[in-house]
Amino acid sequence: MNRDIEISVSKNNDVSILNIKGDVTAVTGEKLEDAYEKISAEGAKKILLLFDKESYINSGGIAFLISVASESKKREQSIRLTGLSEHFQKIFHMVGLTKYMSLFPSEESALDGF
Amino acid sequence: MSTITDEGKKIELYIPSIMGFEKVAMECAASIAKIMGFNDDRIDDLKTAVSEACLNAIEHGHGMNASLKVGITITMAESSLQVAVHDKGGGIGQIDLPVIENKIEDESNTRGWGIFLIKNLMDEVKFEKTAEGKNVVRMIINLKKRSEGQGSDIPEKS
Repeated sequence: MNRDIEISVSKNNDVSILNIKGDVTAVTGEKLEDAYEKISAEGAKKILLLFDKESYINSGGIAFLISVASESKKREQSIRLTGLSEHFQKIFHMVGLTKYMSLFPSEESALDGF
Repeated sequence: MSTITDEGKKIELYIPSIMGFEKVAMECAASIAKIMGFNDDRIDDLKTAVSEACLNAIEHGHGMNASLKVGITITMAESSLQVAVHDKGGGIGQIDLPVIENKIEDESNTRGWGIFLIKNLMDEVKFEKTAEGKNVVRMIINLKKRSEGQGSDIPEKS
């Protein structure tokens, strides 16, 4: 029933971009964590999570994102976020994720000065 | 809408305790809220709250036993919408709301945000136990309250 998640990885100079399409839930979150672990193993220090405005994100997905935030703190990585709908921007503020991952209005602004 | 009876203002559905089926309840509640004239921001709030209440019922109430059904009763009132999600579980009891700093430090337990989201997004939330032993989460969203001036940059709650 959960729409699957599709994650593609690209690079812009030294920024690793995870392009996330689909639902971010307890069921699909593991794929997001796996993709993050893979780019971390390759030495990524600057990471941009590019979300899909149509994505359904629930508390299970948020838990995976908190794990990523926790790991990134230990690894001294910097994570930026973009592409979230206004609703999920609000949710990320509410939960406090934006204390650990900076939110940007567009991909261009997120990459600018990263 | 043409004249509607009191009984007609109540919509009931049942979903199996399978992850993903919470979306059926979520979309149903959203469709009703749209008919009632809720704005898109509030409908998004409702969708997340209904989804989280159903997920709790599916996962914690029924242990993802697909043969058990989660019941959702949506009641339309003049200026509010009530959604009651019931399961046969033991209820949530007293829980401490999560704090992100603790979750970041203790990565072994990053979950537990469902009730937090429901309480932050809905105007009223009650947790009840019925005489038949059902666990009920009753949520109310008002047509007017919080409908204006609530952008994405709301203050973080501590």
